[in-house]
Amino acid sequence: MAVTHDVPPQLDELVTVAHRIREAIESVIEGKGDAVRLTLTVLLSEGHLLIEDVPGVGKTMLAKALARSIDCPVRRVQFTPDLLPSDITGVSAYNQQTREFEFKPGPVFANIVVGDEINRASPKTQSALLECMEEHQVTVDGETYRLDAPFMVIATQNPIEMEGTYPLPEAQRDRFTARVAMGYPEPTAELEMLDVHGGASPLDKLEPVATTSEVRALIEAVRGVYVSQPVKKYAIDLVVATRHSPDLRLGASPRSTLQLVRAARAHAALAGRDYVIPDDLQDLAIPVLAHRLLPSVEAQGQRRLPEQVVADLIRRVPVPETRGR
Amino acid sequence: MRLTIASAAATFTAAILLYPLFEGGTWFWSSLGAVLAVMLAGLVSSRLSLPAWAAPALALAATWVYLTMSFAAEEAWGLVVPTKASVLELGRLLGVGWADIQRFAAPVPNTEGIVLLATGGVALIAILVDLFAARLRRAALAGLPLLALATVPATILPDPISWPAFIIAAFGFVGLLVADGRERIGHWGRAVLVRRTRMAATPAPRVPGRTSAPARPSAAADTSGLRLSGKRIGFAAIALAVLVPALLPAMEPVSFFQFGVGGSGTGGRGNSISIPNPIANLKGQLELPERRVVLTYASNDNQPRYLRIYTLDTFDGQQFGMTKPKGAVANRTDNGPLPEPPGLTGRTDVTNVTTDIEISDEIAELMFLPLPYPPREIQVDGDWRADVDTLMVFSTRDEAAGLDYQVLTSEPEPTRELLESLPFDRDAVDPRFLALPDDLPAEIRALPRRIVGEVSSPYEAAVKLQKWFTEDGGFTYNLRTQGHSNSALADFLLHSRTGYCEQFAASMAVLARLMGIPSRVAIGYTGGSTVGGRWQVGTNDSHSWPELYFDGVGWLPFEPTPSGSLGQGSARAPAYSVPAPETTGDSSTPTPGATSSAGGDEIAPGSQQNPRAVDRESQLLAGGVPATEESAPVIGKVGLGLAGLLLVLLIPAAARLVTRSRRVRALDRQATRSQDEATAVTSRTAATERVPSVTAAWAELDDVLYDYGLARHASETPRALARRLVQQYEFGADAAAALTAIASAVERVLFARDPGRTGPLRKELRTVRQAIAATVPRRRRILAVLLPPSTLRRLRGFGERLLDGFDLLETIRLRRTAAEKGS
Repeated sequence: MAVTHDVPPQLDELVTVAHRIREAIESVIEGKGDAVRLTLTVLLSEGHLLIEDVPGVGKTMLAKALARSIDCPVRRVQFTPDLLPSDITGVSAYNQQTREFEFKPGPVFANIVVGDEINRASPKTQSALLECMEEHQVTVDGETYRLDAPFMVIATQNPIEMEGTYPLPEAQRDRFTARVAMGYPEPTAELEMLDVHGGASPLDKLEPVATTSEVRALIEAVRGVYVSQPVKKYAIDLVVATRHSPDLRLGASPRSTLQLVRAARAHAALAGRDYVIPDDLQDLAIPVLAHRLLPSVEAQGQRRLPEQVVADLIRRVPVPETRGR
Repeated sequence: MRLTIASAAATFTAAILLYPLFEGGTWFWSSLGAVLAVMLAGLVSSRLSLPAWAAPALALAATWVYLTMSFAAEEAWGLVVPTKASVLELGRLLGVGWADIQRFAAPVPNTEGIVLLATGGVALIAILVDLFAARLRRAALAGLPLLALATVPATILPDPISWPAFIIAAFGFVGLLVADGRERIGHWGRAVLVRRTRMAATPAPRVPGRTSAPARPSAAADTSGLRLSGKRIGFAAIALAVLVPALLPAMEPVSFFQFGVGGSGTGGRGNSISIPNPIANLKGQLELPERRVVLTYASNDNQPRYLRIYTLDTFDGQQFGMTKPKGAVANRTDNGPLPEPPGLTGRTDVTNVTTDIEISDEIAELMFLPLPYPPREIQVDGDWRADVDTLMVFSTRDEAAGLDYQVLTSEPEPTRELLESLPFDRDAVDPRFLALPDDLPAEIRALPRRIVGEVSSPYEAAVKLQKWFTEDGGFTYNLRTQGHSNSALADFLLHSRTGYCEQFAASMAVLARLMGIPSRVAIGYTGGSTVGGRWQVGTNDSHSWPELYFDGVGWLPFEPTPSGSLGQGSARAPAYSVPAPETTGDSSTPTPGATSSAGGDEIAPGSQQNPRAVDRESQLLAGGVPATEESAPVIGKVGLGLAGLLLVLLIPAAARLVTRSRRVRALDRQATRSQDEATAVTSRTAATERVPSVTAAWAELDDVLYDYGLARHASETPRALARRLVQQYEFGADAAAALTAIASAVERVLFARDPGRTGPLRKELRTVRQAIAATVPRRRRILAVLLPPSTLRRLRGFGERLLDGFDLLETIRLRRTAAEKGS
């Protein structure tokens, strides 16, 4: 074997810590390695995650498990139709003792915010999350409050066809770095789940395996992952292809290009590589891009989902290469 | 609208192909007018939305008016409106044109009748094309009338159509197809939904000058991709059509017998006489590498005789040419004896000889009969007629090939005394037998006097001239002689004195005319050689000789060409043409080779064995010798052709080998270096130096896969490729590891900030190649070596880049036009 390629030293710690977190989460949710990996990728790329699936497949469990395995403030918001924006961001309340208005921080003031069933709240409330997610800050009554880093929103939602849901606005969908579907567990995993979850919730036994500062360091390390020019070009090619596809009514935004590359960095780092390869982009294109796209009327007629369209595009867009002579 | 114009353009470009059929350009402008008339009629039909059947009728009417205007304006009412007289005039002209076409061979002169015929024909084609393309909307079918037009010159002329003309015509047809496609797609474009976002992102390029663009600004479908493909296919098809035949070995039929009629065209097999270039054919035949039997004959006195085919009577300063023979019905061979031989009177003895001649059936396009002179009566099948002046016997319908005919000749046997008594008489014959160009050089004009000195009779002059050519003048027989340039005659007579029968015959004829003796040049065959009781005449017996006219005796052949082994093998001088005292005895019949020892060398007459004779014999193959070697050169040619083809086919394989060895060298360089610096090569610079070697390995792997038909998909990353191959073909651990190593190295070189250390990849590459080769069938492996598809892919890539270049140029052109319009 002519090639031996070790993990670069600067990523050594990252790989170890990430492995610890993965193990912790997977001790709670069986057989969902891909979803867990994607969750970590989003965390390290400073993005937000949208978990979408039918009820009861462990969406909230995944969100909670991640939150629990990191030793950091975690808030959970149950979105209901009557939830108000101030219930998320916080309110200024009159303190009778100090005779002043005092800001009561809402649940977004945490490192990880779990928004449960986000599409059950009205769009007005949903959009209250917008500023927080993009700017990492909250503005109430003219006052702007910074949010702590890392800041990650993990939202779960039921498919929009389900009853009692409001579709998430395009603008907000665009702010989520990736969407992951849990899917039903394998029969064996389900059997194991019955055994383990039969008694007590395993979540209770979950101990934090990483600290906030550790996660911050990991994020910093991910920022240093190298993205070569051809790979950047490839990312742009992929995104542009969604804009020109006749199957799509709405293509992916420039923001999505940015998030795709950021996520690819984290993906590469998790694999112990300090450079991004096209495979990273190919692995991430569907979770990162598909939820932002609107299928065209024809594609809808043919029941073609944006996921399939993106998969097609991945097969069609040529990867960058420098052909030898 | 657009289709009508495109149809006219296509017809017109196809009509350009007719140019080799005509002399001058009158037909061209006249046909252009006709095409325009048809186009105008078509435009009117389109504008008025006339039914499909009405358009051709209108176009026919327009053509009629146009023809009347151009050809029978005086008879027409107000120069335009056809009248009965104008119709009759057109009919008369058509008859004249038809007769002219019968008479002339291509290129035909632009007589009014012929131009009328050509114009009418082109107009009919234009109407048909318009009917198919613009009325019936079957543009592809319109290719048929165009093809008919294009095949006219191809069938009539032996020369191929010149390729620029072909390209122009092909573009005309492609233009028609393009116009049709645009009409079609243009109509579709209104119905097809177009994505709004797409339109916003990439506004359809506005091509200036396209009238339809503003009319449907946003609904037009984006057909640029289709258009581009169409253009590329069109270009490629035309380029292939022109280039591929040029690359292939010549596909001309091997015609050994192209002499006789047909040098510059036969003017249609049907019923026209063509004026051949017998001289060119003559030399061609003499230079044939092998002898072919042309005809055999037997006569009742079993003597060899020259067989004449053509008589050339006019001299233009460079070469002799033939006046078109006139074959009156009265002079058909069926209608009894032929016309009297000119000049032959009862003053001389005459030998009547019957000769039975059998022409080989391999002879192509010979429409004149080879005959001894002078023929009196011929028994032959078919419509053969004799020319009154020259007694050439020809046909406008039948060919001589395979004929068996009998001819009765009355050969004059004049005595020397009689000949010597005949005076100079310039008025006895048609003046064309004495005509010489005015610009004949003075040196030549002075030559005959110098040669013959003072003579008392034309006969004496003729004999002295022949003697000068064959003995005194120092002439050498050689087939490698330049043809007929302006100074060829002077060169031959004054300087080089080297030539073959053509030069000898023509020069003697010219000198005789200078002396005041009427002369002409005959072309045909010498008597040949006797084989089993019949005389056999072959291609190497092709010959040319002068005939001189003596009033009272008629035309007598002379033989200035050296004969025997040093000259034209079977040539012989007639008895009367040799000075009497020198010959050993007076034989009443000429014997072959009587003047055979003639030549420029100082060799005693009669001695046939001179040092050069041996060489000559080995060069001029006689009789049966070539027959044994007959097929060898053909097989050789075929073999050579096949070998050439094989070489051409092996070019891709060779290119592949060259590419591979270059890459392997790159890998080797890499390998040695890495061993030299084995200890520490982690620095960035050392790593980047490696890049060529890794990319070479990658490119080689890519090509190997392509050659074996396992091509990498464009969207497949190195890692994915390795995974697919290993899973799909169940590679062994070794091969899998090697493949992964290559993929990983490539990945790092291409995408990592620091590629790190890379070992030599040569061994890995070999392992992978073997593993891949093991997965494909043997046929595929052989094909991969002999005809590697990867080389063809490179070629295609090159072609694509070329086309892209063209597209770029066109874009620039369009932008410039747009800018000009804008300003």
